[in-house]
Amino acid sequence: MKNGTSLIEFRRVSYAYPRAYRQRENSQDQPALSELSLQIQAGEYVALLGHNGSGKSTLARHCNALLLPEQGQVLIAGMDTQVAVYQRHIRDTVGMIFQQPDNQIIATIVEDDVAWALTVRGLPAPLIVERVDTALKDVGLAHLRKQSPQRLSGGQRQRLAIAGVLALRPRCIIADEATSQLDPLSRQEIVTLLHHLRDNYGLTILHVTHLLEEAVQADRVLVMKEGQIMMDGSPAAVFADLAYLRALKLAIPEPLELAARLRAAGIPISPAALTSEAIAQELAP
Amino acid sequence: MSDPIIVTEHLSHTYAAKQETSLRRPALVDVSLEIARGSCAAIIGVTGSGKSTLVQHFNGLLLPTSGRVIVNGLEVGAHGADLARLRRYVGMLFQFPETQLFERTVFADVAFGPRRMRLDRRELRLRVLQALELVGLPPKQYALRSPFELSGGQRRRVALAGVLAMKPEILILDEPGVGLDAEGRAEFYTHIQALHQQGRTVILVSHDMAEVAALADQLFVLHQGHLVMQGTPREIFAQPATLNRHGLAPPPLSELLSLLRQRGLPVPLEVATIDEAFRWLTHITY
Repeated sequence: MKNGTSLIEFRRVSYAYPRAYRQRENSQDQPALSELSLQIQAGEYVALLGHNGSGKSTLARHCNALLLPEQGQVLIAGMDTQVAVYQRHIRDTVGMIFQQPDNQIIATIVEDDVAWALTVRGLPAPLIVERVDTALKDVGLAHLRKQSPQRLSGGQRQRLAIAGVLALRPRCIIADEATSQLDPLSRQEIVTLLHHLRDNYGLTILHVTHLLEEAVQADRVLVMKEGQIMMDGSPAAVFADLAYLRALKLAIPEPLELAARLRAAGIPISPAALTSEAIAQELAP
Repeated sequence: MSDPIIVTEHLSHTYAAKQETSLRRPALVDVSLEIARGSCAAIIGVTGSGKSTLVQHFNGLLLPTSGRVIVNGLEVGAHGADLARLRRYVGMLFQFPETQLFERTVFADVAFGPRRMRLDRRELRLRVLQALELVGLPPKQYALRSPFELSGGQRRRVALAGVLAMKPEILILDEPGVGLDAEGRAEFYTHIQALHQQGRTVILVSHDMAEVAALADQLFVLHQGHLVMQGTPREIFAQPATLNRHGLAPPPLSELLSLLRQRGLPVPLEVATIDEAFRWLTHITY
């Protein structure tokens, strides 16, 4: 766990779900992860794309020992996830949020919910108070601390789930389709918050999504299919090949599609222009 | 509108406060609208805007606190109104309908609703087979399989077939695309469009603007229980600022076109699809 090693490292990892599970999920007999290798450095913002069933969530769940590899190794800050004594520490290092924030919200008052994991770990009260304060401020829920989580909107509940994870002072946050149930504006708020956490605290972010538009601001984009990583590069490099992305069953945002067609017709648009704002700037300087 | 199939007049609804958690804010306030027969209408709005409350009035799952709802000439909630008949007339597919499948075979699941309509066996069988055919699950291949062996998108189509087998005139779909990947979604949309083309009225509840842009010809925007905008997708999506105020964003392409207009390119409002934008932009550059 010294400098120089990656925060997250997969070494030829394979994993298949137990049979009963596979039938429910209607997957074929192929493994969910297949000899997958990957390194993520501390402080990177990585977007992980793929269609339903491509193995994104399986990969994410290997990062904090919710799933353990059948073959190969997963190292988190140098710690092997197979080693039982590391697992608590690994889960403190890598926090996860999911599609349904309600599944990880347990208390009846916002601030109690954020404090819960700290209380369980037996931290001294003044420290808990301080961490809860900071976490709620970071996610912009300080003014709602005495509220019941039931009364929060979907976006606010997802931010509460993030606060609960932040209070543990992780080095990495994994957001597994954390925005896919939200309306577009709340979705953008969560993405902005994740970027803010990376920029201000140097947190590593692994952002799992099937929406290309959420990946354009990442440092690095991974695209999965059938348990393997098919593309790995900067957003501009990955989004240069729309035909391949389409073949991987990803929906291409219309502005990107339009930009690609215009480019092919000889209108100069920089391949780095990936958002509507950037494309508009190129078309109407 | 000459021939509306659904009319609401000053419809308001306040949920009875059974639990402390339900706020006493009315869920719908003075909503008056008309949905044209044979159209594909979309009700859009953020979570909690009243979309689901509104459509549940269309088949009598909820009754107005005040105001009137008239479906195909029948006033919902009027004394003696036949709600069972209304619910056969108005089919509703809830969110994540695939989780409601429970029978051992696809056939049995689709037959569950129509079986309760006292049809004779031949008619029942015919309807089930037709419905499966309609949603792109050929009965020869699928009728005897377990619904649990199918993919998420296929299971959702089984649920849709279950509603279609009751032959509703109006089909209400609550967030039909949520949770499907691009391929499953595109497939599902094709089937919805086919139904619409057969003359059925389709009502979508959605917060996915791309979905709405692809399917609907009439939009109603709800915000905190009020009907705040209505019009065609082109009219509505050309007003990004107003949409934003109601917590919604126009679909990405409309947003790009609005940005171009702001930056001084005179993109006409008629331009709304990728093809149209491509043609217009290549035309002005040369």
